[in-house]
Amino acid sequence: MAARIAASFAFAVAAYALVPFAFSGNLYLMSMIVAALTIGGIALAWALLGNLGGLVSFGHAAFFGVGSYASALLVMKAGWPIGISLLAGGACAALAAVLMLPALRLRGPYFALAVLAYAHIFRIVATEWKGLTNGAGGIGNIPRFPVVLGYDFSSKTGAYWIVLSLVLAFALIYAGIRRSHLGLALRAMHDSEDATRAVGVNSTLAKASMLFLSAFMTGMMGAFNAHYINFLEPDYAFSGLWTMLPIVAAIFGGYRTITGPLIGAVVVYLLDQLVFKAMMPIGHQIVLGALLGAMILFAPQGLQSIFARRLPRLRMTSASGDA
Amino acid sequence: MLELSDIGVRFGGLRALDGVSLSVAAGEIVGLVGPNGAGKTTLFNVISGNLRPQRGSLHFDGADIARVPAYARARRGIGRTFQIPQPMHTLTVAENLAVAQRFGAGRVDAHAAEEILDLVHLTGLASRDAATSLSLAELKALEVAKALATRPRMLLLDEVLAGLEAVAKRRFTQMLAEIHARYKLAIVIIEHDIETISTLCPRAAVLNFGQLIADGTPAFVFSQPDVVASYTGTVPDA
Repeated sequence: MAARIAASFAFAVAAYALVPFAFSGNLYLMSMIVAALTIGGIALAWALLGNLGGLVSFGHAAFFGVGSYASALLVMKAGWPIGISLLAGGACAALAAVLMLPALRLRGPYFALAVLAYAHIFRIVATEWKGLTNGAGGIGNIPRFPVVLGYDFSSKTGAYWIVLSLVLAFALIYAGIRRSHLGLALRAMHDSEDATRAVGVNSTLAKASMLFLSAFMTGMMGAFNAHYINFLEPDYAFSGLWTMLPIVAAIFGGYRTITGPLIGAVVVYLLDQLVFKAMMPIGHQIVLGALLGAMILFAPQGLQSIFARRLPRLRMTSASGDA
Repeated sequence: MLELSDIGVRFGGLRALDGVSLSVAAGEIVGLVGPNGAGKTTLFNVISGNLRPQRGSLHFDGADIARVPAYARARRGIGRTFQIPQPMHTLTVAENLAVAQRFGAGRVDAHAAEEILDLVHLTGLASRDAATSLSLAELKALEVAKALATRPRMLLLDEVLAGLEAVAKRRFTQMLAEIHARYKLAIVIIEHDIETISTLCPRAAVLNFGQLIADGTPAFVFSQPDVVASYTGTVPDA
């Protein structure tokens, strides 16, 4: 237990202090890290819905877009402070998920397709509701993160700290639910829904609550991103990439675990942007696709499982070396 | 405690239940018998809320439960087991009971869980993976334990003795008698073995082709020509 606390503390120090200390001079790299964590947050929300809710979603771009627009508009038109509007962005995305409740009756690919169609509806609404969203012209000059206690959170390092805090908070919430009795029931529900209902579990409500939470988290990431990049347009905010990249990241890292989607997002995005893109400026995604294919074939549990297999060996080697 | 009146269920052109009326009093043990396809499990599905009948009424403790979903019926005190054991996958035996206690009974009680595991002879297996490491007899015992963990007032046992060899069956029958004595539950048990029904149940009800054809003491019921005919496939004398 003490070792675990020490490891968590070391990780927190490294994440909050060492990363900015090492890379804050390289704004391009910091912006890549912020983008990777944004994708990691959505990947975590997607994996939570898949692991606990048992639902495969191809529609998280809708939650991301709704969160983006809601937060930007609440700050710009209603004068809300950004801290509150981030939460409101998440709440609006969760509210948007209410409209998806009828799809909870569907399973497997039928649910996935229904949600994909649903995501397109939101993109069309954002494009056509010009009075509110300015349509395809988009919204510019979205207020940036404020200066708090003399520190400018609109800087790359400030944005990094915000997105890191959001992602870690999501991971803690996810871990808490997974350990709870609700988490046990949700995990059991995938293969034995009748059995869980027979002992009093309201399986529909349990799945719906995971859908709302996943939508809330994704909406908050969208809200963060809106104030980070200061510009929104429907094709960007509701882009299918906000669905596909997190799925790729989660599967690459190991979507059954909590850290897997985060590791996957950081590795996939940084590899793609910093290595593959430098080698192949056009078509670099082909390498990523091939890597993902190989990962699914040879290590379907993702990077996390490779680390888990390797680590005991490394520990044993290290222990025998010490002796 | 349980009042079923004129229950009707159709699957397409098949009448699975046809005008079934049955009442079960608190603390009573009723054996539900009948040939395969008679509608016994369908009746359990109707009582537990897994299936909504096309006609008829259901009351539990005086309340109309026709529109109450399955999970809420479990919380009201109707526990059930499944013919093919359905342990909660990915969970240990202890976690299966904890989930049943938390959602069915409203709170987790480790002492009560231990007592239940002891009663169904699963003590020592609490940390085992429920779906992959238990024998058939242990899975059947876990079915009963899960249902008990919801603190039911009525237990629906769907062929919990099926597939067990003679010694295990006797042990299981004894265990059910102990459960009844300790918790004073109403129990409805589907079972094909007439000897077990006669030993365990003061009352038996017989279903055939979706209709209730006899209801009374086992001795009375199993002497009825209609019941004998339903089992042997012969036509009773007029």
